Amino acid sequence: MRKIILISLIVLTSGCVTVHKKDYTAFFAAAPRSILIVPVVNRSVEVNAPNYFLSSITIPVAEQGYYVFPVNAVKRVLEDNGLSDADMVHKALAQKLAALFGADAVLYISINRWDARWMLLSTTVTVNLTYVLKDGKTGDVLWADSRFVQYTPQSASCGNIFADLIIDAAQAALTKAAPNYMPLARQANAAAFTYPGPGIPPGPYSKK
Amino acid sequence: MYKKLLIVIPLLLLTGCATQKYVWNGYDDSLYAYYKHPENKQKYIQKLQEIITKAEQSHTKVPPGIYAEYGYMFYEGNNYSQAIVYFTKEHDLWPESAVFMEKMIRDSKAMTDKTKPKGS
Repeated sequence: MRKIILISLIVLTSGCVTVHKKDYTAFFAAAPRSILIVPVVNRSVEVNAPNYFLSSITIPVAEQGYYVFPVNAVKRVLEDNGLSDADMVHKALAQKLAALFGADAVLYISINRWDARWMLLSTTVTVNLTYVLKDGKTGDVLWADSRFVQYTPQSASCGNIFADLIIDAAQAALTKAAPNYMPLARQANAAAFTYPGPGIPPGPYSKK
Repeated sequence: MYKKLLIVIPLLLLTGCATQKYVWNGYDDSLYAYYKHPENKQKYIQKLQEIITKAEQSHTKVPPGIYAEYGYMFYEGNNYSQAIVYFTKEHDLWPESAVFMEKMIRDSKAMTDKTKPKGS
């Protein structure tokens, strides 16, 4: 229990305090107001990961003060225009995508890992993402980040080794049955977009 | 005591460091649920409607994209007149959406001319 609290606290503080030095010159020069989040490229083994992830990305970007285009409508409109494959969308010029929707910048996200690997008594859930924001006018990269989040449920030891084994096995089975990636995806997004930190500077709607 | 902390800390982690600007009212969870079970589309539509109603009633800004997502649900359901209503709301609330919403309104009008929308 104590360990979990300690770890949570460390994650919490590191999420808010860690300052990564990044060059924001291009970002400030472009000063985007709106961000188009295009369908997510999948390099993981989970076919549903891109859609699931897509549901988590609007809020952190909008809360940074940007207009975020409606992700589901954008996805469907691209599909209607023959761009149902996210890899194809990512290969399209940022300028063309931006012009289609009137966006200032385009956010490309790739899922590198979205998996749960189980050992005998524990499961490790991993989410690994790459974010690249490109200028809608020039196609230049304005910002990029990469996040690797991993979670291994640690059960509280109750001091009895046999009881502990049962608890561990039960937890592993539970995670195996339904690994929940969304908390990890949200954690990755929160860490990626925090500013000051690795994230994007506050946008035009950042003041209430 | 520890149990309470265990609940509070992950909550802090999820919400980040600051309070939220918009009332999302579970938008992310409902979009996730819709992608997981597309047959429950109606639930997702209801949720979008709830977000809009709550924001309008409390005179807070409807979060970016929500009117458009709601309008798109009407568009997909061939109810082009209602689609236009919500695309217009998105357009007027968020000037950044103008190019996209004007396209959607044009497309909706073109579809209205082609087909007779249900119930109007």
